[in-house]
Amino acid sequence: MYQGASNFAQGVDNTFMFIFAISIFFLVVLTATMIWFVIKYNRKKHPNPTQIKDSLKLEVTWTVIPLILVLAMFYYGYVIYKPMRNAPDDAIPIKVVGRMWDWTFEYPNGKMARELVVPLDKPIKLVMNSADVIHSLYIPAFRIKEDLVPGQETYMWFIPTIQDTFEILCAEYCGLRHAFMTSKAIVIPESDYETWLITEGQGKDEHPGLLVLQNNACMSCHSMDGSKLVGPSFKGLFNARRTIVVDKQEIQITVDGEYIKKSILDPDSEIVKGYAPKLMRSYKDVISEEELDQIVDYFIKEGPI
Amino acid sequence: MDNQTSAITEHRDDTGAKLGMWIFIFTELLLFGGLFLVYAVFRAKYSQDFHIAAFQLNVFMGALNTAILLISSMTVAMSVTAIQKNDKRLALLLLSITLALAGAFLFNKYLEWGGKIHHQLYPGSDVVMSLKHGQILFFGLYYFMTGLHALHIVIGMILLMYIAYSVAKGKTNQSNYVLLENGGLYWHLVDLIWIFLFPLLYLIT
Amino acid sequence: MSNSIPHNSYLDPQGNRKGILGWLLTTDHKRIGILYLICIMIFFLVGAILGGFMRLELAKPGQQIMEAQTYNGLFTVHGIIMIFMVVIPGLSAVFGNFFLPIMIGAKDVSFPKLNLLSWYIYVLGSIVAILSQFSGDGPPDTGWTFYAPYSMETTTNVIMAVVAAFILGFSSILTGLNFIVTIHRLRAKGMTWFKMPLFPWSLYATAWIQVLATPIVGITLLMVIAERTLRIGFFDPTLGGDPILFQHLFWIYSHPAVYIMILPAMGVITEIIPTFCQRKVFGYQAIVLSSLAIAGVGYLVWGHHMFTSGMSDLSRLVFSLLTFIVAIPSAIKVFNWIATMYKGSIEIRTPFLYTLSFIFQFMIGGLTGLVLGSLATDVHVHDTYFVVAHFHYIVFGGMGFAFFAAIHYWYPKMFGRMYNEKLGNIAWAILFSGFTLLYFPMFVLGMRGMPRRYFDYLPEYSTGHLISSIGAAVLIFGIFLMVYNLFRGLKTGAIAPANPWKGRTLEWTIASPPPLENFDEEPVIDAGPYDYE
Ligand code: HEA
Ligand code: HEA
Ligand code: CUA
Ligand SMILES: [Cu+2]
Repeated sequence: MYQGASNFAQGVDNTFMFIFAISIFFLVVLTATMIWFVIKYNRKKHPNPTQIKDSLKLEVTWTVIPLILVLAMFYYGYVIYKPMRNAPDDAIPIKVVGRMWDWTFEYPNGKMARELVVPLDKPIKLVMNSADVIHSLYIPAFRIKEDLVPGQETYMWFIPTIQDTFEILCAEYCGLRHAFMTSKAIVIPESDYETWLITEGQGKDEHPGLLVLQNNACMSCHSMDGSKLVGPSFKGLFNARRTIVVDKQEIQITVDGEYIKKSILDPDSEIVKGYAPKLMRSYKDVISEEELDQIVDYFIKEGPI
Repeated sequence: MDNQTSAITEHRDDTGAKLGMWIFIFTELLLFGGLFLVYAVFRAKYSQDFHIAAFQLNVFMGALNTAILLISSMTVAMSVTAIQKNDKRLALLLLSITLALAGAFLFNKYLEWGGKIHHQLYPGSDVVMSLKHGQILFFGLYYFMTGLHALHIVIGMILLMYIAYSVAKGKTNQSNYVLLENGGLYWHLVDLIWIFLFPLLYLIT
Repeated sequence: MSNSIPHNSYLDPQGNRKGILGWLLTTDHKRIGILYLICIMIFFLVGAILGGFMRLELAKPGQQIMEAQTYNGLFTVHGIIMIFMVVIPGLSAVFGNFFLPIMIGAKDVSFPKLNLLSWYIYVLGSIVAILSQFSGDGPPDTGWTFYAPYSMETTTNVIMAVVAAFILGFSSILTGLNFIVTIHRLRAKGMTWFKMPLFPWSLYATAWIQVLATPIVGITLLMVIAERTLRIGFFDPTLGGDPILFQHLFWIYSHPAVYIMILPAMGVITEIIPTFCQRKVFGYQAIVLSSLAIAGVGYLVWGHHMFTSGMSDLSRLVFSLLTFIVAIPSAIKVFNWIATMYKGSIEIRTPFLYTLSFIFQFMIGGLTGLVLGSLATDVHVHDTYFVVAHFHYIVFGGMGFAFFAAIHYWYPKMFGRMYNEKLGNIAWAILFSGFTLLYFPMFVLGMRGMPRRYFDYLPEYSTGHLISSIGAAVLIFGIFLMVYNLFRGLKTGAIAPANPWKGRTLEWTIASPPPLENFDEEPVIDAGPYDYE
């Protein structure tokens, strides 16, 4: 196991060690006994077996001792776990939305980010929800994990104790790009965090349309560099010539604003040749009319080329 | 007593056959048990919606069907008594009445469902989709539970027809009627499940 | 008996149906056992090859031989085949069918025709499962757990896979029902409950789980089908449904199902140890009671698969506690097995080697189960390779190795010939080392945070994955060698005596292979099943 970087890591690692110690003891002793019997009472040396009577005393012993040990394991695990479910009141609440296949983090002041930036040594509470299927936010270095369930709010909390960058992984299978639904947890000193929070960050000089795309995880299926992911790449999208399939008819079109909007609101109506239908859901009611215009504007003015 | 069974003929064990049937019935109860669990969960979560949606069901139809099934359960039991008394004709007659009642049940069900579907109340319809969550689930459960039950009625009817054939052929007779008994048990099960479904869906509001 | 080929063996053509029809229309429990054996061996190899392809893909980070979607389909189908078609029916359908009636002194099971029907239902379910690969919009990609709402939304062929699991469950129920009635009604004269051998006992406990738990998954799968076709919304939050409810319903069955897999395996092990130690089983009653306890308590722990699912904190606590309790009966068995070896006269033959490695691997699998049962630690390793290692150790290292032990142990009885002992031992050694290489690194990977069902992974995990893939390559040699040895024995093996291992249970009192009617005259039991002197 590697470096633990939250207030829970030590306790969890100790629980591991406690259970492992008992387990290894039993594994070694029992295996050794077994091998010893097999050698000692080998038929060549020990041709006549001795019949042994059952012993209630023995049975009770090896029921009660393991029972006590497992209850100890249970108790230890529970005592360490309990604080994980009780977030302190002053924890900074950060809203997390998981969607196929990306994360967004929303800070108390409304700032949105794609990476989890947190202040060192401060309690953080993640308030989580999913926009589609179940995901699970997992930060191995912090030893924490909790599912994001659509239609339901879940939470977890932690205090980061080491200033560094850590992996965020999705631990609940969520479809095609489950393995790539990753992000980073960046732990910085509190003062840096305060400034980070009020600077517009990425948002400031970026096109608002790009932000809409990012906040809706569009780029987890549509690349910016021309590579083929789940859907067609965004590279050089505006004014590109595309062959689309409508009602099994192939049509040549030039990408314009109308086409882009339609592809977002009703993706299955016009599918680019070579891509499968029913993979993208409709973003009607999710992306507003105004945001649609921003997206189109983004593709016209600066979209990836 | 049945120790003289020869190698080729199958070993006959009426107690075993009945034990097997009981276990099977138990699995069927568990199958519906899972559904009752789901019903309980959603009922607790959306009691208000369930209350409103249940008004849409036709209590008279439900009660009529309950009566039909209860009578049919009785006739099937009587047919077992009849065969024990070696009254083949009466047994067959009672079986036929049971089958007719089962048919009547299904016909009622058809009318009931048909009425609902006519009013656009079926899973996935625009009308249902515009209802509150609890009501959507209520109708979902209503169709799923009564549908699965109706399927059991159909299976039971096929079984009873086969048994009637066996009675007519004389294979099921005064000294060997475990098949009829098991068919009766199954029919009681179908009845019993309805006895649960009726209040859960129609009466409790 | 010097008499080499006994007349009237069940393998000889019977009655007026010759050839293949004599097998496909048989109601003889022994032939049905063999039919299951053939199917399960084939499906095991298919599932294993899929596992092999997965290991090829995972050998290095980045894309190797397939697309992500193919990989997602592969582990789903690998899981479905292995769980529903191989390990759940596995021991009880093959060896239970073949030996249960013989071991309790009966001519057949209670409902021989139903038994054959169960096999046909099993085959039908398997065909549907395999068809789900090649029809519709591509193989299902939900994992064998079919978690909602993903399973409601994906466009792949989920419905067929679910239908297959439903049908297979039906077959499982009917087999369980048949065994319960058989054990209640057909025990030989004088065989009281506590004079019954322990393999039938374990089948009895298993059968009750099959009967009591399978209907729940049946209805759950039906609900999935209804939801996908009719938009009913039981599990769909946008219609008011509850995705976590699905997980509860699924695990209410699928946790007890893991005991369906392991109990018969424990039964087999409990038969083999006394035979090769020539000793009475230590703690017969304790073993019986622990089987029943596993079957009973096993119903109450399903929530340990859902510690991070968002279920209430109180349930997490209770399920964790109960999970630890259910470990105790397994521990009791391990202690009694080892105690049975004490002062025995131990002969190390191939089945016994598999038995020893079963105990070792089962201990590792079981003890790591304790890590998963503890709340604090499960939160870290849930849905990582630690879980994958846990269940391969217990399912493959446990139930799989018990299957291999059983097939070697009863081989002479079933086919009337011996396998080659030396080849058998070599195959075992390769299998055991390959197994360890393949799965042990997964514990380490999981501890370091490698999630499961990942098509691709960070470079820091590559060493473990590479070792694991090499292990798979070693393992395949062991498997092929073992299968080759078993096939070779059918033709060229030495003729087997009636009782090659000096066993005490009833199957060793009749000729090898058993005659059609099992017993010439009904046996009468007056001693315990393992009374060596
Ligand atoms: C045959 C199958 C089988 C068996 C028998 C078991 C047995 C056990 N399993 Fe396992 N399990 C699976 C198959 C099985 N499991 C599968 C397939 C999964 C994954 C499903 C999926 O998600 O795909 C799983 C997942 C799983 C989880 C969920 C993990 C997660 O997703 O986060 C948990 C958590 O508690 C768990 C616990 C246990 C425990 C405590 C036992 C116990 O019964 C073990 C008892 C045995 C012992 C304890 C060892 C022997 C005893 C001794 C050596 C003596 C010393 C003992 C003591 C001191 C106590 N298992
Ligand atoms: C009886 C149960 C059983 C058995 C025996 C096995 C056997 C094997 N399994 Fe497992 N496995 C499961 C049950 C089982 N499995 C289940 C239930 C899951 C969960 C699925 C899910 O998440 O939904 C799973 C998941 C699973 C995973 C995790 C996938 C993931 O989470 O991403 C992996 C990864 O390595 C794996 C590998 C293997 C391998 C290599 C074998 C091997 O031991 C098998 C031995 C065979 C070989 C070693 C074959 C080698 C073949 C080649 C090298 C290919 C060459 C090809 C040709 C010649 C054509 N399995
Ligand atoms: Cu999101 Cu896996
Ligand atoms: Cu479990």
